[in-house]
Amino acid sequence: MTAMTASDTASRPAWRMALAAMPRWTRYLTVAVVLAALPVLLEATTGIPAVWYRIGGYAAVYAMAVLSLNLLMGYAGQISLGHTAFMAIGAYGAGLVTTKAGLSFVVGFMVATAIGALAALLVGLPALRLRGLLLAITTLGFLVVVVQSILQLRIVASGAVGATLARPEFGPVSLQHNAHYLAFLLIALVAMWALDANVMSSRLGRAFLGIREDEQVAASYGVDVARTKLLAFVLSGAMAGFTGAAYGHLLGQVQSTDFRLDLSLAMVAWVIIGGLGSRVGVVASGVLFGVFPFVFERLLSGGNVGFFAIVVGLLTATLGVAWLRANGRTSLPALGVVAGASIAMAGLFVAGVDPTGAGVRDFALIIGSAAFLITVAVNPNGFAGSVRERRDDAAAKQAKAQLRAGGIDTDDPTLPSLPVPAARHGHIELGTPVLEVRDVTVRFGGLTAVDRVSLTVPAGEIVGLIGPNGAGKTTLFDAIGGFNRPQAGTVGLLGRDLTAMAAHERAVAGLGRTFQRTGLAMGLSVRDNLLLAKHSLLTYDTLSALQHAPAVARAEADIAVRADEIISALGFQQYADLPVKYLSGGQRRIVEIACTLATAPDVLMLDEPTAGMAPAAVENLAERLRELRDVHDRTILLIEHHVPLVLDVCDHVYVMDHGSVIAYGTPDEILRDPAVLEAYLGERAARQAGLMGNVPDTEEVMV
Amino acid sequence: MLFALVNGVVVGAMYGLFALGIVLVYRGTKVINFAAPALGSFGMYITWMLQAEQGVTWLAAAIIGILASGLVAILFERFIVRSMHDAPRLSVAVATIGLMLLLISVELFVWTGSPRALPPPIAGSGWSLFGVVLTPTKMLSVAVAIVLGVALTQFLRRTDFGLGVQAAAMDPTAVRLVGVRLSEVSTFVWGVGGMLAVVAALLVMPSIGGFAPGTVTAIFFVPSVAAALLGGLDDLSGAFVGGIVIGLVTSIAEWVRIEFSWQFPAVQLVAVFAVIVVVLLQAPDGVMTRLRVGLGGAR
Repeated sequence: MTAMTASDTASRPAWRMALAAMPRWTRYLTVAVVLAALPVLLEATTGIPAVWYRIGGYAAVYAMAVLSLNLLMGYAGQISLGHTAFMAIGAYGAGLVTTKAGLSFVVGFMVATAIGALAALLVGLPALRLRGLLLAITTLGFLVVVVQSILQLRIVASGAVGATLARPEFGPVSLQHNAHYLAFLLIALVAMWALDANVMSSRLGRAFLGIREDEQVAASYGVDVARTKLLAFVLSGAMAGFTGAAYGHLLGQVQSTDFRLDLSLAMVAWVIIGGLGSRVGVVASGVLFGVFPFVFERLLSGGNVGFFAIVVGLLTATLGVAWLRANGRTSLPALGVVAGASIAMAGLFVAGVDPTGAGVRDFALIIGSAAFLITVAVNPNGFAGSVRERRDDAAAKQAKAQLRAGGIDTDDPTLPSLPVPAARHGHIELGTPVLEVRDVTVRFGGLTAVDRVSLTVPAGEIVGLIGPNGAGKTTLFDAIGGFNRPQAGTVGLLGRDLTAMAAHERAVAGLGRTFQRTGLAMGLSVRDNLLLAKHSLLTYDTLSALQHAPAVARAEADIAVRADEIISALGFQQYADLPVKYLSGGQRRIVEIACTLATAPDVLMLDEPTAGMAPAAVENLAERLRELRDVHDRTILLIEHHVPLVLDVCDHVYVMDHGSVIAYGTPDEILRDPAVLEAYLGERAARQAGLMGNVPDTEEVMV
Repeated sequence: MLFALVNGVVVGAMYGLFALGIVLVYRGTKVINFAAPALGSFGMYITWMLQAEQGVTWLAAAIIGILASGLVAILFERFIVRSMHDAPRLSVAVATIGLMLLLISVELFVWTGSPRALPPPIAGSGWSLFGVVLTPTKMLSVAVAIVLGVALTQFLRRTDFGLGVQAAAMDPTAVRLVGVRLSEVSTFVWGVGGMLAVVAALLVMPSIGGFAPGTVTAIFFVPSVAAALLGGLDDLSGAFVGGIVIGLVTSIAEWVRIEFSWQFPAVQLVAVFAVIVVVLLQAPDGVMTRLRVGLGGAR
């Protein structure tokens, strides 16, 4: 998704270059074969104890588990605290299917995947109405119900043993060997990774990121928020169900306690520590934190108490110093305290650990959870997050400096001529009504924000909508776009009735809008925003996206070219891969307009595009709007506070006050309308005498 | 049935105490403290160690246990929460998961996984009232919960510091202007939150049975978070009422299971889950908030 710069490529080792040069599927196949061959060859040629392959198996299972959770939390932004529930369901399902019903290992995995997906769909349904922590708590409750109730049912569990899962033999390959089973798990892991990568290089993956960043913005690009959320749950649940079966076969027998709350919460932590949304980050942290206690215990069973006491001391010291550095307190006494604590921990280890006993594992857990605690505290955005942030900070600074050196104003940039795609429904006979709003009424409680407003936007015109603060302009925009539910009235586009449609369906039907607050996915790059805007113009389905089918590759390559054209037209090459949050307000405005244009709308609805713009930039915007109308025959509905701009570019103007249209006409007629002068321009003139500048239409209400 | 109701109120009062701690911390720092039950468990282990192994009297051991968890919570606040002042609140919530795991593993290491048991705070078989046995501990539990709940709400309503606590997360600047230090507010809510959890654990665990590392979290985590949610997460009295409601739900579900001899395991948790889902879908701001708005009353 990110373009490589020359310096990136140069610093990469030869094997990574070779891999990157391969076609996608060859690459995954190569990695899978190499990884799977490793344990098999090691087992055949060396005498490494079988338990190490088992530990490797844990690593692979944890890696798959965090990939699944990362898809839901990292990409789609839906917190799941009960993810082990889906794993448990998969493991028990596979156990029932293989051991009780006597079906094959493969069928077991298929069933596990399917019921994991189904359970996740069920949990995802409340997610359509719940956000953030409230959703998280629902997932948590689901886990507790599954572990303590469903898995204890007599038809599900067989007594003290929850489920038994045997590993089969296929000729010379016996999955009963830990090394062979590890090989199988590694292949599965690569497959899951590939699936994840496929999703994320498709419109589905961008839709996930879009709803994570801003559901309204995503909907305005035609993303079906509800469907996308459910898909994230289903995909993640399927992955978790599969992982559960893999885990079950690794353990041989599972109990409900294998999926208990603290493992589930630990998985969440691994994903956050690794860095939400980073495949490499989460897998690394899942493997590291998940396997650490086993490795520690295993290494110590050799009896090197002294050696490990030193390791414990050093680890404590590292964590302590990391905390001190993050908090800027590396004074001598503080370091002394850390040194003392490290020695104390080492001493505690020696005193408390019986080298043959179970204390080792518990001590390892202490170290592991302390490490986890400090890591979160020192690095709240996760490892990958901090790395990304440092890199982006530097790149943003450099980009700004470069542009400044070239004499380009980064704070008040002007909107250049952009490549404009043809409107969705092609050329429309000039003058025929495109957007027709009839008697729309929006009430919030007792307040009527929009009162029986009707307006018509003819093809090839720029229609202005002005009015004092609180006149109801933005509320009307939301009603047209499907972002609120009007109590009465209809909205029609090109003769189609949009009234019953959701926001994303209206976007697909041809409405393109910008937001007063700047409607961009702030955490995504300029390029990804442009690609996200193309969402509804891509037609391939989810299954082809999962496989990264040739049609997907072609369509993606095509929109990538389009995005590049827009980026170079904007002169934003240096910013292309930076998150939008690094851009200045003016830069964001023009990127937003570019994104909305990229959706190829039949009507372009702009909500105060000049907010915060310098006079020269406003002048330039007027030119662009005229160009869109006169050269590209586009239809525009414009909300503006900047009255001169509206009078300058608009063909017709509606004036709203107190929720109603009080005047309509050409700019000349509006200027002469006494009602307008009294209700609007008078007040405006009075205000301008006292206080210059634009006041936002609706103040953001802090709750 | 009557027994179920009485029991529901008693257990519910304990859920309410846990929830009170969670709400207090949320109110003060906008963090959900996932470690609250684990803090309760830790203090209870300290109490057990002093009482069963060192022969300290129950009350003295309990006070030390309560203070120990309060101290752990304050240290956590001082060294972890405070160093994360700019971090996303979710990351801080994850740090509390780290604290929970740390406490559980410390318990495993120091006290092993074998189940332990503490005697109830007051011995005695209690009185029978309409066929319902009221043990002294049960009555004490409800009394303590009510006293602590009322004392805390009054403290928060009547004192400048308390008002500072209530407003801390909403309007930090205003709190600072009133002369209340945010760092003190933060220390206070975490410390009190940790101590309340121990009080609840000490009162309720004897009637449940033995405990091992993680037991308190497993039993109390979901019901107490549910209680806090019922109240809308930032409402102290709401949390308490939420606790009682959840307590009634669990004990009635349990009663139904026994009465109709259902073979359904942990039916009370299923009931709590159902309540959570319905409440969240119908009144995402909490039932108390919804009621208050519905009655037209302002806060």
